[in-house]
Amino acid sequence: MIEIKNISQSYSRRGRKKTLKNINFVVPEKAITAMVGANGAGKSTLLGVMANIVPAQAGEVLLAGEDITKIKPSDVAKKIAFLRQTQQLSVKITINDLVEYGRFPHCGGRLQEIDKQKVEEALGYMNLLDLRDCYLNELSGGQRQRAFIAMVLAQDTPYIFLDEPLNNLDIKYSVEMMKTIRMMVDELGKTVIVVLHDINFAAAYANYVVAMKDGEIVQEGKQEEIISKGVLDTVFDHDFNIVRHDGRSVCLYFDYKL
Amino acid sequence: MEVTNKKPGFRNQMTAFSVMAALLILGVVLYIFARTYVKAWRLGVEMSRQAFDQILGRSVPALVGMAIAAVVIAVVSLLFQTMTESKVLTPSMIGFDAVFIGVQTMLLFFFGSTSVLFQNSYVNFLISAGAMVVISLLMYSAILRKSKNNMIFLLMFGLVLSGIVGNGARYLQTIMTNYEFFQLQAAIHVTVNNMNTSIIFLVLPIMVLLIVVILARHRTYNVLILGGAQAKGLGVAYEKELHRNLILVAIGMSVATALIGSLTFLGLLAVNLARMLLKTHRHLPLFIGSAVIAALALIMGQGVVELLEGAIPVTVIINLIGCSYLFYFILKENKKF
Ligand SMILES: Nc1ncnc2c1ncn2[C@@H]1O[C@H](COP(=O)(O)OP(=O)(O)O)[C@@H](O)[C@H]1O
Ligand SMILES: [Mg+2]
Repeated sequence: MIEIKNISQSYSRRGRKKTLKNINFVVPEKAITAMVGANGAGKSTLLGVMANIVPAQAGEVLLAGEDITKIKPSDVAKKIAFLRQTQQLSVKITINDLVEYGRFPHCGGRLQEIDKQKVEEALGYMNLLDLRDCYLNELSGGQRQRAFIAMVLAQDTPYIFLDEPLNNLDIKYSVEMMKTIRMMVDELGKTVIVVLHDINFAAAYANYVVAMKDGEIVQEGKQEEIISKGVLDTVFDHDFNIVRHDGRSVCLYFDYKL
Repeated sequence: MEVTNKKPGFRNQMTAFSVMAALLILGVVLYIFARTYVKAWRLGVEMSRQAFDQILGRSVPALVGMAIAAVVIAVVSLLFQTMTESKVLTPSMIGFDAVFIGVQTMLLFFFGSTSVLFQNSYVNFLISAGAMVVISLLMYSAILRKSKNNMIFLLMFGLVLSGIVGNGARYLQTIMTNYEFFQLQAAIHVTVNNMNTSIIFLVLPIMVLLIVVILARHRTYNVLILGGAQAKGLGVAYEKELHRNLILVAIGMSVATALIGSLTFLGLLAVNLARMLLKTHRHLPLFIGSAVIAALALIMGQGVVELLEGAIPVTVIINLIGCSYLFYFILKENKKF
């Protein structure tokens, strides 16, 4: 279980401008939680704090009841895998090598049979088996994104945080990605938090939605409760039109008016 | 053709290692040959068995000193580049040679040439190495606190430190006695030719230990090149790792500088050549490759220098090549942007 208690965070020197303001949250287990909100709302920062990569200014993150900052980093990495929003690599490295590094928390770089198997699986999920010996810098943005996601999958943790995983992915791969996440939750019992910008992906695939604004969680709850005009209009400062299709909500957020 | 070999370029790596090893042996032979038969021939005397053994006996510590210093320089240079996420930086740029000269000058000036601090090579070595470690740690902590633009900060720090210490030392040198000045010259003129062999039995174990400690952690370094945040995500205690490794770099550079003087571009050259030849990002082959290349460059270079009757010091040759390579590298990298 991951529990967040009174987390505050600030990047400014004296901590005046708060990026996260006293956040409390319990991550729903074995479900997809979509995190939505405008740019700069603090989503990436919150995930960073939850994965113990960004230190919090105040408050604590409890992983199975234990303060995450007190747990050995390699043990945290066996529980939580985190795909960051942007990846910059200065080295020339193949997809295969990158995905193998996903096993580092488990094997310390000495790959055993089980590690190789997980690497194969992860490459398979992301449809990268043919590309495994390609260098990352020679790939398209979408292929590179899939490689990093495969690395996260190879890490094989019960908790998976994905910060805008659909970045750079075309429609086909976006849907594939969401289906893979769904499968990981339904069949493998993983707990996933995913930052999404297209609210319709949240509506279609998530169990829970957390809406953030200005460093605060303004709404959280079941997908059906959050995907509603009243909630979305205030979160995004935008005029939404929600229609029903096949028993699910679809958000129309385009302005047609000419 | 079926490609079953999972490690791309494994064959090539083995070939590269074999060629390097062969060249290294050739370098050693050249060095000994130049010091014995070529020298005898030049002087017009017969090379006796006894004289050969005698020269060989003197060459062995020199060879060992060069080899181990080169290996340490190469290994810590690669480690330094991994920690700073850069391919053009080298720890020498911090200004270790200036600190070494500064410490020697101050010891002599304040304690006199008969002082045990200056005369006893072990004590002297421990003080200079200690000073270099402390100064690099001060600098690292300043950089780590800033964390942004650290490359520029590092280079500026090196420049300013060299300037201040160098000028301070020069001032003290002008007001010391002639006798002291000559003593000092002898002490700070540590080069490949004039190696500080009196400390070799002290530094050898330190160096071997350092190399073992660094090489044992090669798998962790592989993860570190993915960047700090990514490494943290994979369970590496990044800050701890950074501090620890920068201390190892400081120790390595101090020991090498005290033993054979400053070789600013040797590490840079060896590491980048190894990257080019081995085409990998993995640290184990890169550590071994750059170590062999560094030893090769130093020993082969010294062999050539002996052949040329010491017309040019090997340091000059290596710095010339290393400097040209750095130029080439910067120009090549700049084209991309
Ligand atoms: N490394 C950083 N240094 C300084 N400010 C930052 C940093 N990262 C994020 N911020 C600021 O924190 C706020 C929240 O950013 P972020 O968590 O990335 O939001 P989101 O992911 O929701 O777009 C923004 O105002 C951003 O400018
Ligand atoms: Mg973000």
